Amino acid sequence: MAYPHAHPREARVLSKHFGEKDAIPIDGWIERGGYKALDKALAASPDDITQIVKDSGLRGRGGAGFPTGLKWSFMPKDGGKPNYLACNADESEPGTFKDREIMRWTPHQLIEGCIISSYAIRAKHAYIYIRGEFVDVVRILNQAVVEAYERGYLGKNIKGSGYDLDLTVHLGAGAYIAGEETGLLNSLEGRRAEPRIKPPFPAQRGAFGMPTTVNNVETLAAVPHIVLNGADWYRQWGTSKSPGTKLFSCCGHLQRPGNYEVPLDFNLRDLVFDLCGGPPKGRQLLALIPGGSSVPIMTADEIDCDVSYEGIEAAGSMLGSGGLIAMDDSTCMVRAVRRMVEFYAHESCGQCTNCREGTSWLAKILRRIERGQGREEDLPLLLDIGANMAGKTICPLSDSAAVPVVSAIQKFGREFEAHIQDGRCTAVN
Amino acid sequence: MNETSPVLNVTIDGIQVSVPKGATILEAAERVGVVIPRYCYHPGLSAPAVCRMCLVEVDGAPKPLPSCVQQVQDGMVVHTASAEARKARRAAVEFLLVNHPLDCPICDAAGQCELQDYAFETGQLRTRNIEPKAVLGRDKLTPDILYFADRCVLCTRCVRFMDEIAQEPVLQVIQRGHKGYIDTMTDELFEHPFSMNIVDVCPVGALVNEDFLFKPRAWDLDQTPSICPGCSQGCNVLLGTKENRVLRAKPRPNNEVNSYWMCDHGRQALVNWGAGDRIEVPMIRESGRLAPTDWPQALAALSRTLEARPAGARAIVSAGASNESLYIARKLADKVGFKGGVFRVETGPEAGLPGFPKLRLRAERAPNVRGAELLGFRRSADVLEAIRGHKGVLIVLEDALIDAPEDFGVELEMFIYVGTHMSPAARRADIILPSTTFAEAEGSFTNVEGRVQRFAQALHPPGLARPLWLTGSTALAGLGAGAVYRTAAAAFDALVGEFGEFQGLSYAKLGLGGASVAEAESSAANVS
Amino acid sequence: MSESIHPAVCSAQPSQRADKNPDAPLFEGAYKERFDHILSRYPNKRAALLPVLNMAQELRGWLSPATITRVAELLELTPDYVRSVASFYTMFQLRPVGRHLIQVCIGIGCDLCGAEEVVEDLLEATGTRIGETSRDGKYTVVEVECLGACGFPTVVQVNDKVYENVKPEDVEGLMKELD
Ligand SMILES: Cc1cc2nc3c(=O)[nH]c(=O)nc-3n(C[C@H](O)[C@H](O)[C@H](O)COP(=O)(O)O)c2cc1C
Ligand code: SF4
Ligand code: SF4
Ligand code: SF4
Ligand code: FES
Ligand code: FES
Repeated sequence: MAYPHAHPREARVLSKHFGEKDAIPIDGWIERGGYKALDKALAASPDDITQIVKDSGLRGRGGAGFPTGLKWSFMPKDGGKPNYLACNADESEPGTFKDREIMRWTPHQLIEGCIISSYAIRAKHAYIYIRGEFVDVVRILNQAVVEAYERGYLGKNIKGSGYDLDLTVHLGAGAYIAGEETGLLNSLEGRRAEPRIKPPFPAQRGAFGMPTTVNNVETLAAVPHIVLNGADWYRQWGTSKSPGTKLFSCCGHLQRPGNYEVPLDFNLRDLVFDLCGGPPKGRQLLALIPGGSSVPIMTADEIDCDVSYEGIEAAGSMLGSGGLIAMDDSTCMVRAVRRMVEFYAHESCGQCTNCREGTSWLAKILRRIERGQGREEDLPLLLDIGANMAGKTICPLSDSAAVPVVSAIQKFGREFEAHIQDGRCTAVN
Repeated sequence: MNETSPVLNVTIDGIQVSVPKGATILEAAERVGVVIPRYCYHPGLSAPAVCRMCLVEVDGAPKPLPSCVQQVQDGMVVHTASAEARKARRAAVEFLLVNHPLDCPICDAAGQCELQDYAFETGQLRTRNIEPKAVLGRDKLTPDILYFADRCVLCTRCVRFMDEIAQEPVLQVIQRGHKGYIDTMTDELFEHPFSMNIVDVCPVGALVNEDFLFKPRAWDLDQTPSICPGCSQGCNVLLGTKENRVLRAKPRPNNEVNSYWMCDHGRQALVNWGAGDRIEVPMIRESGRLAPTDWPQALAALSRTLEARPAGARAIVSAGASNESLYIARKLADKVGFKGGVFRVETGPEAGLPGFPKLRLRAERAPNVRGAELLGFRRSADVLEAIRGHKGVLIVLEDALIDAPEDFGVELEMFIYVGTHMSPAARRADIILPSTTFAEAEGSFTNVEGRVQRFAQALHPPGLARPLWLTGSTALAGLGAGAVYRTAAAAFDALVGEFGEFQGLSYAKLGLGGASVAEAESSAANVS
Repeated sequence: MSESIHPAVCSAQPSQRADKNPDAPLFEGAYKERFDHILSRYPNKRAALLPVLNMAQELRGWLSPATITRVAELLELTPDYVRSVASFYTMFQLRPVGRHLIQVCIGIGCDLCGAEEVVEDLLEATGTRIGETSRDGKYTVVEVECLGACGFPTVVQVNDKVYENVKPEDVEGLMKELD
């Protein structure tokens, strides 16, 4: 079974075996070269592994793009307290569904990545925090974890190396904010997934008060490839600031939605029009969100850039999680923004005043405009509320909620104004 | 904070100040008199930094920082009133008002509401919000406390009080985001001996005491520092009074005694203290009948009795009387020949506060047990039994002797009753001197730990009632025994001169926080 | 459920079944083993809360006050705390729901591709309104935020089963399958 819409221009490293049912069980995975990187890693020292990952320039794929090797180097080495690895498989950013595909098709890729990364940070226990809604994915992952235990890749004295590691799959229960790393830690500890004040950072005080590294699924899944093939091999793709390949989850108004893995210097327009086939026939691309609903909306004219962190930033948005949302000219921008803001209002943990009140206030105003009861003064008000929500809270969810509103008004102000003046949507239908 | 710990320099609104390492910006600002607005921060609780009200601008920081948790770094330059800081504060207030019912005119917290204060301060009289407000309603949490969810700013102070201080985490945030509210597990009301503190910590009118609901407006109350007479703990309080009545009490912070807290029993006791018909004029017995008189006559009568007598004087005093009045009671008895004095103490169940273990509702439900003991009086379960057979002078101070037999005092040579309330036994006295409650005259109590603490006068005494330290010392001075003590300070300082246990103290030195008697101090020193 | 589950994955047994017995005993037999396995994976009992609530819901269909109180007891937490945590997460049902909990994604990805119609058709087919349980106790239709499968709109999850690419015309077939 071929993975839907695989494209020759992709650089399939992590997604190479997507669509191959045989790659799911451990034997199939080993046949495809699985767990070789682990053997190599266990023969080296933890610091060597960290160095390779540092040299590779791998950046966190959870959204913030923090250099992974550097993050690992913050972990204490003295072993005075237990270190933990927490794999962030909460994937809930609207538009993002890449981690799900990694776990669903190549669970052992993630498990191997978890083992090597745990070894590098000297963790004896790794948790995979997976969102509760991933019911079918978690069954696959669970099966793979049990296999890894049975084959001695997990547990005591892994493959005779003397290294012990336990891995526990931990199911979330419905909360986007549990994807924020400190919200995740609270949730893992049996608390409300309310983000914590930083500092202390997780490497200082993480899960159960112990040093912890939190990494995204895709980040960890890239680790075995880098360890096996080396930093230079990984750097054959992408730019010097954004090496490697990355999965883009593409959804919305596209002919071929799905996950595409491309080098990080790939052209964004090509990704949308060539790989995804562009919008449905007869439609024009109106807007694009390149990195999940938390990054600024781009106009169709702005997407002639490469998909590197710095490339998208220079074009006015952010790479974020790589969740690409395409909107064609049938889209009501007010409605689309309202829907994204409602998401944040629903998902705000509610600790911070600005976020709790700001998200629901924005949503109410947008609903009113959508109903045709907008006022001239609503647009400056929305922008000012957005400004009052940004940079003032414990975690960046508040900022994220303001992003679609502010960027849409800046770039698609005409549509909002038309809505207000005509009392209805004027988008092509 | 250890004096040898490193000192950091910080500039707050142009004023330089040195603070110990670990101090927050908010604390540093307080040192230079800059009060940064806050909701979630409470000095007695952990700081979750959720309200985002205390954001300040710090040079070099890309974003405004929460001053309640941001620790000072050396050389930091902080602006609490810059345009950026003010905008951040305005934003927080505006957000808090988005779903607030703006029912201030009927809100119990009006006038003492931090939301109202800051909304006023940030000049937000007109709202930009025209959306319908969320309506969550109200809920009863304890038999006395109502929760108005729509006024709640979700600062979680109440949650943290129950969790960290009471250590019975019954209050929790339920739901999340804008749907969040405070509740317990069930519809059942919870009870906790310190529950009313959640009303105190609530920065707005979301938690209110039903007893106090819609009664006086907070701004109508006068506030007087006092000491709770409810038990021997001696919690520091502020009495809220109006029209010469105590309407409520709030804890007054004292880290040695009660931190920011007090118990529910104390609040009740304070409000009820001294209720009932009062003795308002002095009386003396003339040809077998009690007759009202004035102070000069009454004190003249008192002076006439104060001569050495073979049968001497005994006393029944109260552990609710001040050190100063007890001291004068003792001196009066001494003048006749002190043959011993007793007092009784009502007791009740104890209750602790695990998060601040120094504070316990003590079994002894009287404020000055220790003071009475130090002044030579003995605790007795049966004070009547203790004076049985005494034939000399009896001085009774603030014990109404309600359990006395009908023929009480027949054997006595002279019965002097100094008190606030009349009773059948008091009516048998030869001289009745109206005295004051702790709220009606200044003075001090010595708490269970030996800490001497002052209280101020909050009310006018009824009629001619005056504290014994004034009236008694006037009579004694007339006999050449000491001076007239026109202030509690004078009486206390004289007491210190005579009772070694109080050595080293003076009324002035007690200040508002109190100080420990020598003995207490030395035993405390042994412990540490 | 007689086969024993590996301790590593006891904390991640998907269960969105709303068709269980509200009075089922909590954690006996195989469930007791799972409970013990869960506890063995964390340094303290509190951390077991989400997995244990999940298991309780699997058994009883929803988290009643009695269930919450029992879980609190087992994990040495207060019921108030457990209620607070449970109410934070959307997958914990604090009220009974229909045997088929039909969750329709209305996230931006699905919304752009017609989720609204799918919702409407499902409401019509079940004769309910959002969040309401049908009179026969069979169905509850709820709107949920992004289910993390946005490339396959509309995503519908019924209890612990995910349906991708659901179009309005698929609703009839889906309802048949549930019957
Ligand atoms: C509101 C919010 C939600 C987030 N959700 C996720 C998520 O679902 N998955 C994820 O990997 N990272 C998420 N993140 C990012 C994490 O906080 C964290 O940066 C990431 O897991 C670190 O891993 P990485 O360095 O490998 O990217 C989220 C961040 C925020 C602020
Ligand atoms: S910004 Fe929003 S989601 Fe983040 S901690 Fe504050 S309230 Fe919670
Ligand atoms: S009830 Fe009062 S103290 Fe409690 S969270 Fe609400 S505003 Fe804060
Ligand atoms: S503990 Fe004692 S002193 Fe303190 S408030 Fe209660 S009764 Fe008053
Ligand atoms: S007082 Fe600092 S954030 Fe609330
Ligand atoms: S928007 Fe429906 S799955 Fe993401």
